Amino acid sequence: MAGLELKSLRKSYGNVEVIKGVDLTIEHGEFVVFVGPSGCGKSTLLRMIAGLEDITGGELYIAGKLCNAVEPRDRGIAMVFQSYALYPHMTVYDNVGFGLKLAKTPKDVRDKKIRDAARILQMEHLLDRKPSQLSGGQRQRVAIGRAIVRQPEVFLFDEPLSNLDAALRVDTRMEIAKLHADLGATMVYVTHDQVEAMTLADKIVVLNAGVVQQVGAPIELYQRPANLFVAGFIGSPKMNFVSVTVEAVGARTITVTGKDLSSVAIPANPTGIKPGDTVTLGVRPHALDRNASGTIVGQVGLVERLGNETIVNLKLPSEASWLVVFDGDHDLAVGQSVALSFAPESAIIFGADGMARHPA
Amino acid sequence: MSFVRNYWLSAVAIVVSAVVFLIPFSFIILMAFKDKTQAQLLDFSWPQGMHLWSNIVEVVTTRNWMLLTAFINSTILTVASVTLVVILSAMVGFVLQRRKTKFNGLIEFLILAGLMLPPAVVPTIWLLQGLGLFGKLHGLVLIEVAYSLPFSILLYRAFIATIPRELDEAAIIDGARPFDVFFRIVLPLLWPVTVTNIVVQSVAIFNDFTNPLYYLPGNANATVQLTLYNFQSQFSTSYNLLFTNIALITIPPLIVFLFFNRQIVAGMTAGAVKG
Amino acid sequence: MAVMTETAAAVPVVQVPKRRSPYPASFFLPAAVIYGVLFLLPTFASLYFSLTRWTLFNSTFIGLDNFAQFLREPFLIKGLINTVLYAVITSGLKVVLGLLLAVLLTSQIAARGYLRSVVFFPVLVSTVGVGITFTILMHPTQGMINEALAVIGIKGPGWLVNPSLALFSVALVDVWKGVGLATVIYIAGIVAIPKDYYEAARIDGSTKWQSFLYVTLPLCRPATVTVILLSFIGGLRTFDLIWAMTRGGPGFASDTVASVIYKQYQAGFYGLSTAGNVVLFILIAVLVVPLTMLLNRREGHE
Repeated sequence: MAGLELKSLRKSYGNVEVIKGVDLTIEHGEFVVFVGPSGCGKSTLLRMIAGLEDITGGELYIAGKLCNAVEPRDRGIAMVFQSYALYPHMTVYDNVGFGLKLAKTPKDVRDKKIRDAARILQMEHLLDRKPSQLSGGQRQRVAIGRAIVRQPEVFLFDEPLSNLDAALRVDTRMEIAKLHADLGATMVYVTHDQVEAMTLADKIVVLNAGVVQQVGAPIELYQRPANLFVAGFIGSPKMNFVSVTVEAVGARTITVTGKDLSSVAIPANPTGIKPGDTVTLGVRPHALDRNASGTIVGQVGLVERLGNETIVNLKLPSEASWLVVFDGDHDLAVGQSVALSFAPESAIIFGADGMARHPA
Repeated sequence: MSFVRNYWLSAVAIVVSAVVFLIPFSFIILMAFKDKTQAQLLDFSWPQGMHLWSNIVEVVTTRNWMLLTAFINSTILTVASVTLVVILSAMVGFVLQRRKTKFNGLIEFLILAGLMLPPAVVPTIWLLQGLGLFGKLHGLVLIEVAYSLPFSILLYRAFIATIPRELDEAAIIDGARPFDVFFRIVLPLLWPVTVTNIVVQSVAIFNDFTNPLYYLPGNANATVQLTLYNFQSQFSTSYNLLFTNIALITIPPLIVFLFFNRQIVAGMTAGAVKG
Repeated sequence: MAVMTETAAAVPVVQVPKRRSPYPASFFLPAAVIYGVLFLLPTFASLYFSLTRWTLFNSTFIGLDNFAQFLREPFLIKGLINTVLYAVITSGLKVVLGLLLAVLLTSQIAARGYLRSVVFFPVLVSTVGVGITFTILMHPTQGMINEALAVIGIKGPGWLVNPSLALFSVALVDVWKGVGLATVIYIAGIVAIPKDYYEAARIDGSTKWQSFLYVTLPLCRPATVTVILLSFIGGLRTFDLIWAMTRGGPGFASDTVASVIYKQYQAGFYGLSTAGNVVLFILIAVLVVPLTMLLNRREGHE
């Protein structure tokens, strides 16, 4: 009902196009996260939905209504800013109630709504304070309270956790997830932090250079990334890549070989791939096991021993550098040779065009 | 060693400052206490007898309470001009800082021209006569506003640059229209620089002599500075009254100085660091 | 343009009206009307009226006659020279004294607050009041200054009655009244210099004098630029102090362009008075624009 629809949305500043035709449908009640490296256009896209940036081309529908020329106040949205943007000269009470006051909501209704929002966010004791008297986490709460009180159809969050310290970030993340469950409203959330994206989202939109790379559920993006960019961006540590040569093409497999590994058949869609082609093989750090009969052999560089796992930087014969995560503690010496194996179905083949060749 | 040198330096500084700056002011005050005969000696002597109150009464009542009228006129002029300047220049500074258009360069050029160039007086008089504003107090109010705008706009523009744009945007999302954004969010946050601006402009306009001289001829609308200027010839033999007048019109700046010294200095040095 | 049509052809786009800016240009309107009508319009009008013989009711175009007269009449040329002289003297003294006072008042010295106040207060006092007071203090026989000089055996000069001295006397009073502003500007500039520089200089073995020369002086250049421009422009435009003290006299000895403008206006020579205004515009443009460029360019080299 209160979903969003973006139809080939574009944004340019002069001759520079920063959003290059985004098509996206967001269902009512969905929690959608825009993620991507800085400068990818995710914040701009959010601000276009909010009405803070003009739309250069395409159409934006909120709850079925064309909103390109609609003022922000009439779009049924609320927004939480990265810096919180609390009005420094107003108390928390007035900050939360400012929108209602502008909408000429009767005083008693306004008071009830402000107190309800404060109760939901457990900040009733803060209502008389000024923003300067609040901690970072409390300011964050007020900013969310200001959004809740307007009862918007769509909540917009612009990197709301990036100014909080690590511990508070985890707490607030859970609170936002709970808020979404309680309110059932549509939420669009921008972050550069893929952990936030993975934990919060029903649906992740990966953006790069103003173009949508992939849209999907978090686990889908992890398991079946559409291309090299998404494969490299989602998952931590980053997926390992190596250039290999196609040896043979089966019905549902591609057999590859290279300087760093002996021949292995990977389940993949072989359409358009022929023996002799150069493709990229991707293997996640966690998918690699220490195995004396492994097909890949590397020399140990850096070792990070975390106790429950060990992160090892390996140098392969082709000079490529891979990260490997072993379960448990491993005491490895620098320069030592380690043999690795991986399950062929956990690896992904990417064609010369950078697109993944997932098996059908 | 260094303590001894600073000690002597301090002593020298205090004595020199007393001779150069305090003696002229003491002279004004002493003269205001004297009677006519003693004042005519023009010397730095202790008043014989206390004549301050009779001097004040005579200065204020002379020429049909002219000085009182002048004080009222100057107050109206200052309050009205400063109020208008503050609001109008804050609005211009706000939009000028927030919105980058191709006209900004031209606007900034016109503002700088206003800071540098003296007004063209006779054409202004001609224009004021055409508008029926010549010799009128409200005409002078508009003149003072026009001449004070450039400095005031630059002061506001620099300060508004320090207010995060996200505040405007939060207000816009909250449903604020441009007027709400300005009057409810931005203007209240400008309060520190507004105090500075009010104080600096008030002193400048209250002390202004040239513009009333040109644009406000006649006795009915005289300001305190004009009155002092006119008394100079009238009281050419009554120096006690002349200096009582000077002392009286120095009181408003003195009060401002005592209470708002920090704001004035802040306003007048704005831009000194950045250039 | 070509790119635009190409995009439009590739993706059928419904052209919808743009939203209005949250920063409306209408906010400029009241200020623009007042400033445009009462400052800009007369300024442009002066360019025409300076070429006329003018009675306020009708004007006769006489070409450059007014300007020719300006360059012919000795007392008008005198005013022009005096204006530049006055601006150079006052701004020069304000820079030097302001910097010295600021260094003194930012050092460890007793009664710093008192000294700052007493130096700054004259800035806020009525110019006419200061002018009248000093006219009396500078009285050749009865004035306190010469009486004080007589005590130590010096025969004081006729500060305001000696034609070759009058302009300088007024300039001194201008400095007396205005040096406080230069001082606070310099204080703001000096206080903004990070202490690290002085500490680094001391570790490098610099003396106090060297620290002043190589740290304070270059790093408070923005303050110097502000003081020079502010007092130089102020000096070129000066009117009220001169009018309150000498009315341009004795004779035309202390006339400046601004006082000439007023005198011609009083005499009813409106065209000539306006030509004086234009001369002042040109003077400011010719002197201040290169000065600004010079000051800012040298700053760029530092």
